[in-house]
Amino acid sequence: MNRRSGPVVAGVKVLLTLMYGLPILWIVLTSFKSSADVVGTQSSIFFRPVLTAYVDALDGALVDALRQSVIVATGTTALVLLLAIPAAYGLARTTGWLPTLGLGLLIVLQMMPQTATVIPLFQVFASWGLLDSALGVIFADAALLIPFATLLLRPFFRSVPPQLEEAGALDGASVLRTFWSIVLPVARNGVYTVGTLIFLLAWGEFLYAVNFFLSPGSYPLSALLAQQVSAFGIDWPGLMALAVLTSIPILIVFAATYRRLRDGLTVGAVK
Amino acid sequence: MTSHAPSLDSGSRVGAARRSPTPARRTRRQTRKLFLLPAGIFLALLSFYPLVQLLRMSVSAVTSATLNSPWAFVGLENFAAGFRSGQTTAGLERTLVFVVVVTALGMGLGLAAAIALRTKGRWSGALLALMVFTWALPPVVNGSVWKFLLGDAGLVNTVLQATGLREAPVPFLYDQYWALLSVAFVNSFAVIPFNALVFRAALMNIEPEVFEAAALDGANRWHEIRHIMLPSVRPTTLVLLVLTIVYGFRSFDFIYVMTYGGPGTATNTLPFLGYLQAFVRYDFGLGAATSVVTVLGVLVLAAVYARSIRREEAES
Repeated sequence: MNRRSGPVVAGVKVLLTLMYGLPILWIVLTSFKSSADVVGTQSSIFFRPVLTAYVDALDGALVDALRQSVIVATGTTALVLLLAIPAAYGLARTTGWLPTLGLGLLIVLQMMPQTATVIPLFQVFASWGLLDSALGVIFADAALLIPFATLLLRPFFRSVPPQLEEAGALDGASVLRTFWSIVLPVARNGVYTVGTLIFLLAWGEFLYAVNFFLSPGSYPLSALLAQQVSAFGIDWPGLMALAVLTSIPILIVFAATYRRLRDGLTVGAVK
Repeated sequence: MTSHAPSLDSGSRVGAARRSPTPARRTRRQTRKLFLLPAGIFLALLSFYPLVQLLRMSVSAVTSATLNSPWAFVGLENFAAGFRSGQTTAGLERTLVFVVVVTALGMGLGLAAAIALRTKGRWSGALLALMVFTWALPPVVNGSVWKFLLGDAGLVNTVLQATGLREAPVPFLYDQYWALLSVAFVNSFAVIPFNALVFRAALMNIEPEVFEAAALDGANRWHEIRHIMLPSVRPTTLVLLVLTIVYGFRSFDFIYVMTYGGPGTATNTLPFLGYLQAFVRYDFGLGAATSVVTVLGVLVLAAVYARSIRREEAES
């Protein structure tokens, strides 16, 4: 297929390489600069790399933020999968008005702007005593991501041949048992893909975290970054070091799951 | 982050209705409905109840001080105040500009990227991986680096000045007009990888024989794109278009990170305006009213979306 990949295609590829390569390169380069290096010009490529930004960033506060990020992201992923997997299976295998209504509601919920839900949730959490706790943020993130996860998981369950389950039923296995030992193993790729996506999204979520945690001391990494970047007099090397540290777990997850993400992401969208 | 298109029909087995189900099978189907229960209860408490509260708030006088005491009913006063001050209308206009830019760039470059990256090869593979990685990064990270790149002494302005294209730095983030466009650009930057993946999947479905036949007929690259690739991504385009519009419409994270609604009110799109009114000006009633207008917009888009999925399924 390469035979006639003409100059236009090459041009598009150069443009995209610059557009997506440079930002990543610049985050990493800047994080190794000293503050003095970015005062005059921020764009020098040649400079003496220093670890000042990382040394400054790596204090107790960062460790706390990292711990908070891990708690929120893994807690959210677990809760979302726990609720979305059965829901997606139920929607894939039932008929009638209930699943149709359920699907419609999930579509609407998944489109809800987060800026609209953060306002009432703040009040609801205040009256339930869930403000300033990781549990509150996990609940809010889960409510945000369950519609997305369910809609994405459903096609994976639909593609499990019903005959497999009927065979299980003939052997006298209960619905719960056929689901657990027949359907779930067959659909596990979908579960991994969706689990990865939920983790990535929960790791990056910051609006709920900024508003529901009442002091920056308990912010996760993403919220800490959001707070620092909208402050005056930004310390760019420090900020970029924080950005790199926030991104490293994403890089690990990405490296482990890229193939699955690339192919699995489009399952729900294109059928 | 954009998301996915489910099909709306709920029948899982073609012809299942025609077979008369045995009582045992019917019981099993009823049991399966119980699987919906946990998520249903959770969403009722943490999604629908808050939405009811949002509606109540929008017709009440609520400030941060009275947030947890009884609210005074004021009817449509919050909505009227929003429109009277011109903020809601201005927010709607900005949202419209924002959505148009994000959608045009996101769809156009998404398709261009898919066509360019359809070919196998080391460069294409690495570039696709880089793009998906960028897409997977937290929006705060992408927003931070673009805020840096678009600054007065940032890379973009340095290059523009060094090449003599501009005398003075372009005020990307603090000029009233540039700011909205800059944030919209970064938003499309973040959505292009996803759109490219979806378009690419549709292009991969084309049989190689089709291209071979076209080559025999003397088709050039443009003919291939116009007569083979574009028709084959058409059903996908419709769904992806609505998804991209929704993504642009509800977007707030890059605005939060890069401009925080500024300079002045230049990047106060409707969703972000509602947020600022509630959490910066502490007028929860006004913020809720603005958000309800936003939600109404989402409902319209959701209806369009549902229709476009039905149409796609009918075509395929």
